[in-house]
Amino acid sequence: MKKNNIEGWLFVSPLVIWISLIILVPIYIAFELSLFNVKIIGTSGKFVGIDNYIKLLGKSNFLNASLNSFYWVIGNAICQTFFAFTIALTINYKFPGKKIMANWIILSFIIPTVVVVVIWKLMLSSSSGVINSVLIDLGILDEATGFFSSPNKAFISLVLINSWRWSPFLALIILSGLNSINREMYDASKVDGANFIQQFLFITFPNLKSVLFVLGLVGTLLSFNIFDIIWLITKGGPSSATTTLPLLIYETAFTKFRISQAATLSIITSFLLLLFSIIFIKFMAPKEDD
Amino acid sequence: MIKEDNIKLIFLSLSLIIIILVFFFPFFWIITSSFKSPEEIISTSTTIIPRSFTLEHYNKILFNSDFFLYLKNSLIVSFSSMIISIILSVSAAYGLHKLKFYGNKFVEYSLLVTYAFPGVILLVPIYLLFAKVNLLNSYFALIIVNVLFATPFAVWMLKAFFKLIPNEIEEAAYIDGASRYIVISRIIVPLAAPGIASVSIFCFIISWTEYLFASILISGDNLKTLPVGLAGIVGQYQIDWGFLLSGAVLASLPVIVLFVFIGKYFISGLTEGAVK
Repeated sequence: MKKNNIEGWLFVSPLVIWISLIILVPIYIAFELSLFNVKIIGTSGKFVGIDNYIKLLGKSNFLNASLNSFYWVIGNAICQTFFAFTIALTINYKFPGKKIMANWIILSFIIPTVVVVVIWKLMLSSSSGVINSVLIDLGILDEATGFFSSPNKAFISLVLINSWRWSPFLALIILSGLNSINREMYDASKVDGANFIQQFLFITFPNLKSVLFVLGLVGTLLSFNIFDIIWLITKGGPSSATTTLPLLIYETAFTKFRISQAATLSIITSFLLLLFSIIFIKFMAPKEDD
Repeated sequence: MIKEDNIKLIFLSLSLIIIILVFFFPFFWIITSSFKSPEEIISTSTTIIPRSFTLEHYNKILFNSDFFLYLKNSLIVSFSSMIISIILSVSAAYGLHKLKFYGNKFVEYSLLVTYAFPGVILLVPIYLLFAKVNLLNSYFALIIVNVLFATPFAVWMLKAFFKLIPNEIEEAAYIDGASRYIVISRIIVPLAAPGIASVSIFCFIISWTEYLFASILISGDNLKTLPVGLAGIVGQYQIDWGFLLSGAVLASLPVIVLFVFIGKYFISGLTEGAVK
């Protein structure tokens, strides 16, 4: 196909300019701030060079938040992959009510995050939550437990709530990949005696490569950036157990009022995410076939 | 053969039950709870079928709170963000898909990588930037940010829809002397209408549900959006559950109503269009 350089750029430039302005200018501002010691927004500070960076790397709350973010991304990836594949493979079968379910499974994704928070705060409440009373009735628990009271329980509960929100959406994208697989491949493999686990491993999974690539990249970045669900439920607690890097940045800027430190954190975090993206694209991008 | 089918059936029914319990029951629960008396909502003995029925919470939120003000703000911000996002991403997706140009792949991947930045990382610098150019406390501040969140994925989805339109149709139009503008407005956009509808819903949802930037960039009460208003109730020490639940149901209603009408395009768009 012949190249249409000028026209091509003409079409993409409005969006490219919009996005670059709103990302690059703030990143530049953040970088500048990270070299000064500004505390409250609007005040000025003195130039300190790379001091902020050196101080930050030795701080225990930075290391703690980085580790939490790492567990957060891994935990969400595992849960969401499991839920999303369960939903996608189930909806891919024929059963009565399939259309309605396929249409409305996405409910948890289209409602505001704040509503997700309201739903699970009520359901998981330690004093009157329905989950607690069901678990007690079934004999699994002896007495009501606080799902956000201990560090581990709070972290796991949050991972599950966030996965609850995102899995149906991911499931539909996986479903789009499933729909693009040629049905005849399954029929042919059946003739050859393959069972459905083998079909999944050797037909379904390899054919989902390009879908899974985008999900792996965007999904990781999106779940890394989750802020509101955690903030609105635990505020990062108990004892910083659910403080991921986004929460640490927010706290540093808007509750401790150390703007330069927050800017430094933002720059380091952006750098890490960019590095991850480049490596991921370099090694995982599916080969062009069209 | 029969045995394998049985295993499949068991798997299918099990996962159906789990999906219904996990992904649908919570909605049943908050909707029914929003009609329960305050005592029943917080009572320790849980009953699946509600014992009481009251409209007092809805009465309170509709006629005794700023609900309609927040609703208006949310609608203005979400619709404007949606329209701008669609114009920008249709143009970009068309350019990326139909016009191979130098830097094509770079732009495509960079768009995906923009997801590395949004979120809290940009919050502080965007706040400072908007303060400098006097954009704080305006609808436009939120619209700028929402477009940034919505467009990268919107472009990716739209590209998939454009791929489904056969090249021959477009080429035939050019032979008949049609300009690029005519081709896009008379052929591409109408043929990709279901796709554009589903991407529009996506952009609307992204803006409708946004909380973080709305809570920081807007400080005046008269410009607050629904999620920020609701979060204010969540943060209170003594939560008025009935009030909160009815607010949550009402805040979800607009997207659900929208979804009733064009949801099927969204789902089929996602599941059939986004092949690659």
